[in-house]
Amino acid sequence: MAIAIGGRTRRLRRIVVGQEGVLLAAIVLLFLVVGALNPRFLAETNLQSIFLGNAYIAVAAIGMSMVIISGNIDVSVGSLIGCMATLSGSLAVAGWPIPLSWLVPIVASMAITSVMGFLVAYLRIPSIVASLGMMSILKGSLIIVTGGAWISNLPDGYALAQMRPLSVPMPVWFMVVLTAAAAAWMRYSAAGRAIYAVGGNAEAARLAGISRERVVMMVFMVHGLFAGIAAVLFATQLSVIQSTVPPNLELTIITASVVGGVSILGGTGTVVGSTLAAVLLAAIGSSLIFVNISPYWLRAVQGVLILATVLADLARRRRQAAHR
Amino acid sequence: MATADPRAAMPGRLHGLMLRHEMVLAAILVAALFVLSLQTDRFLTTDNLLNQGRLMAEIGLIALPMTYIIITAGIDLSVGSIMGLCAIMLGYGWKNLGLPLELSIALSLLIGTIAGAVNGWFITRVRVPPLIMTLATLALYRGLAEGISQARSVRGYPDWFFVLGQGELLGVPTQLWLLLVATVVAAVVLARTSFGRMLYAIGSNETAARFSGLPVDRCKIAIYALSGFTAGLAAWIFVSRVSTTRSDMGTGVELDVIAAVVLGGTSIFGGTGTILGTALGVVLVQLLKNGLALTGVKGDATIVVIGSVLILSILVSNWLRARRGVD
Amino acid sequence: MRKTLIFALSVGLMGGTALAQEQRWDGADDLPVNPLDCAGAPGEVAAKPYDGGQPNNPPDLAGKELVLVDVPKLIGIGYFNATSKGMQLAADELGNVKVTTDGPTKANIDEQITFIDNFITRGVHGVLFAANDPVAIAPVLKKALDKGIHVIGYDANAQPDAREWFVNQAEFNGIGKALIDNMAAEIGEDGSFAIVTSTFTTPNQARWIAEMWAYQQKCHPNMKWLETVEAQEDNILSFNQATTLINKYGPELNGLFGMTSVATPASAEAVTQAGKCGEVAVVGLATPNGMRPYVQSGCVKSVVLWNPVDLGYAAVHVARAVADGKLKPGDTQVDAGKLGTLPVVNGSEILLGPPFVYNMDNIDEFDF
Repeated sequence: MAIAIGGRTRRLRRIVVGQEGVLLAAIVLLFLVVGALNPRFLAETNLQSIFLGNAYIAVAAIGMSMVIISGNIDVSVGSLIGCMATLSGSLAVAGWPIPLSWLVPIVASMAITSVMGFLVAYLRIPSIVASLGMMSILKGSLIIVTGGAWISNLPDGYALAQMRPLSVPMPVWFMVVLTAAAAAWMRYSAAGRAIYAVGGNAEAARLAGISRERVVMMVFMVHGLFAGIAAVLFATQLSVIQSTVPPNLELTIITASVVGGVSILGGTGTVVGSTLAAVLLAAIGSSLIFVNISPYWLRAVQGVLILATVLADLARRRRQAAHR
Repeated sequence: MATADPRAAMPGRLHGLMLRHEMVLAAILVAALFVLSLQTDRFLTTDNLLNQGRLMAEIGLIALPMTYIIITAGIDLSVGSIMGLCAIMLGYGWKNLGLPLELSIALSLLIGTIAGAVNGWFITRVRVPPLIMTLATLALYRGLAEGISQARSVRGYPDWFFVLGQGELLGVPTQLWLLLVATVVAAVVLARTSFGRMLYAIGSNETAARFSGLPVDRCKIAIYALSGFTAGLAAWIFVSRVSTTRSDMGTGVELDVIAAVVLGGTSIFGGTGTILGTALGVVLVQLLKNGLALTGVKGDATIVVIGSVLILSILVSNWLRARRGVD
Repeated sequence: MRKTLIFALSVGLMGGTALAQEQRWDGADDLPVNPLDCAGAPGEVAAKPYDGGQPNNPPDLAGKELVLVDVPKLIGIGYFNATSKGMQLAADELGNVKVTTDGPTKANIDEQITFIDNFITRGVHGVLFAANDPVAIAPVLKKALDKGIHVIGYDANAQPDAREWFVNQAEFNGIGKALIDNMAAEIGEDGSFAIVTSTFTTPNQARWIAEMWAYQQKCHPNMKWLETVEAQEDNILSFNQATTLINKYGPELNGLFGMTSVATPASAEAVTQAGKCGEVAVVGLATPNGMRPYVQSGCVKSVVLWNPVDLGYAAVHVARAVADGKLKPGDTQVDAGKLGTLPVVNGSEILLGPPFVYNMDNIDEFDF
């Protein structure tokens, strides 16, 4: 009994002082400061917009975090999302049943990341090489196939991201449910824990009977699942699909993951952190407009805030290490 | 430039493996040259090749310190943004601060070096992982470039300024000389000096390097500062080549540079890599783009080809290595 | 850690707030603005002597097959698909012109230069270009002229001496006037508006905003200019930025300008999803295909644009006329097939015509 309580408080303590705590504090602080300067920032519609317009980044960052925790990286994710969004829209316009036009791109996305996973796991190609190559291939193919023609006249009922069950936007549901599910999976399932093991110390993992190859393969497939879902949310948010690769999307997603406390060296980090970081980054972007930062200095301030979050996390870790 | 013995400090077997990769690249390069020159007689001409040298100078220069950094198991994603910041400082110092252009160039190179050193300082002293640090400064330096310039471009440079980017020396583009000299120096430093050996040592096992008393932190700060300086140099060349300054210059350069370096066989995990490999990587990408364009292949198909070559070349090297392991 | 955060936040936010306040937008290139007359009578522009460049010893191609390449700012977007379509149309019609489109996948000055350079080496008779930067592209265009290649610009100009002719879709001040007049008609003389643009460094957009400012000051002095935000060429970012503006200003915001064919539909979508149709007007530059849902739903009343298919069509006709020796420096007009004769303005520019306004009645007649 006593142990159970001790365990619970320790867990609580870990959440309060972990990277998640830093990010939550930063989000709250940002909302308070900006809300004081311009109360409209805290209006419900604006809070919803912040989540709604960026939930797909949080969803993609979940998969990216797993990839990074396993000691790999994927810089092709932006191109992948662009391609899958286009695929989804094309199927819908071609008259496929709407649920299929959501599902097929998710499956296709998993197929593509499986290829990458195979290259990385079994053929031992470093993930940055495999994904840089894949990025070029996807980007070029998309233009060859579509020529950049926009997709419009999407059928009614296609706009998944514009639905609002219980008056909460669908992307927010996806973000919350998927983050919770992924966090639980990473924490409590053997497969999830194996990801940490492979990223932290591949040799020890091997000795413990975990197959690095199989885990990396699985991580890339799961990453493909999340990227595919993100692509569908991305495709269905507006009434037209641009059918190009969104500029710098991969950097935004990777930034969310690493600001969320995922160590690029692998082995540590949580998907809750990456989702909070995605929310924080989106809130920063929106808040800077609210407080009238000169638009020319906007990106510089954004950079300073990212750096500050990272430094705050490092300071926390250092202090924790000192206390131990 | 055979870079005689690139890794005196490396075990012989590993050394052999690395040269294997450069052989693979050289073979692909020769094959590509051969096939492309059969397709069009405008490809393998001195004029065209020299011109390609002009176009690849910026990427080639930045790729040199990037090779050093990746050998130490680091990375620098902020090079494109530093390039933009330096370009802006060059123009801003001259037009808005009224400095003589020479001084303004020096100032922009200094700013680039400082920007790189700041990366290095945080990475070594505050222990921010390189990827995270340079991801943050990728946003920050680009933001500074935009803020300082107020989105204004600077134009109207005097004629002498264009010599570096548009002029020729002994019939060879000016910046190509610079690239050649820098490449040779970088190769010799990496292969022949204790500094070069230190980079491999840090990349193979940083803790061991520290325990053996190597000045790891100073060395790392130096290479990040060098990376910033080179990005500044590239900015100078680029501004001189295109005769204007904009804050969005160098956007996306980081991925092109990293692709060339890893294509050259430098391992992203550190400890291996050569300047020869990087040079081959840079040249291969540039000539593929050029040759395919001259034979009428479109740009979208070209990037598909380059992506495939990147994966295949590493795949072939891996396969050769595995076969050798079996033998 | 909390100290670091609070410090960074306060420095960032407070410092930024002090710096803010929208300054007058002047296009960032120190060029003069030239607002049109409020009543709409086209201002008489003094005739200027020819100021373009000339190719060095071009081969005599009169009536012979003409091989052209088209290097737009970037490929894979709707707008340049449309110009490219117009070029093919003209080539098919003329019969003795071959034109291929190729260019960078992002609007990048460096890659565009490399593409043109490669085409010079490959050997073509003429280059059609839409410049990402008027100055940066000049050296490579001069190199083309030097090799006897005809150089014709469209959509986005280069320095005049780096090309022979520029096919101008609409003059900057004409666009500025059309946009501001349409906005004033929708939100009234006291309305306030914000702008969503691509980036502050994109030359065409910067010039348009500068001309809009000058014309608004002159002819609609009571309209209120709230803020301009950047959104790249990214439709979700444009949507997010427009939504943020709607949330920030609430009822204070009466209108949104979209400065690109990406920003305008995304702004219309933001207004639609915020349930503000009828309260926030959207006026902007866009292609009919991107705007059809919003125009048909009545949320957007009018869209300003030239016809990009016609623009590409005219560019090829101009190139043919130049090669045939039918358009020489000093000429005052050129024959452009089904478009009739187009006038020469500003020394070496060929004017496509006044900007066009699409609305619910005519939007279905266009497919690009």
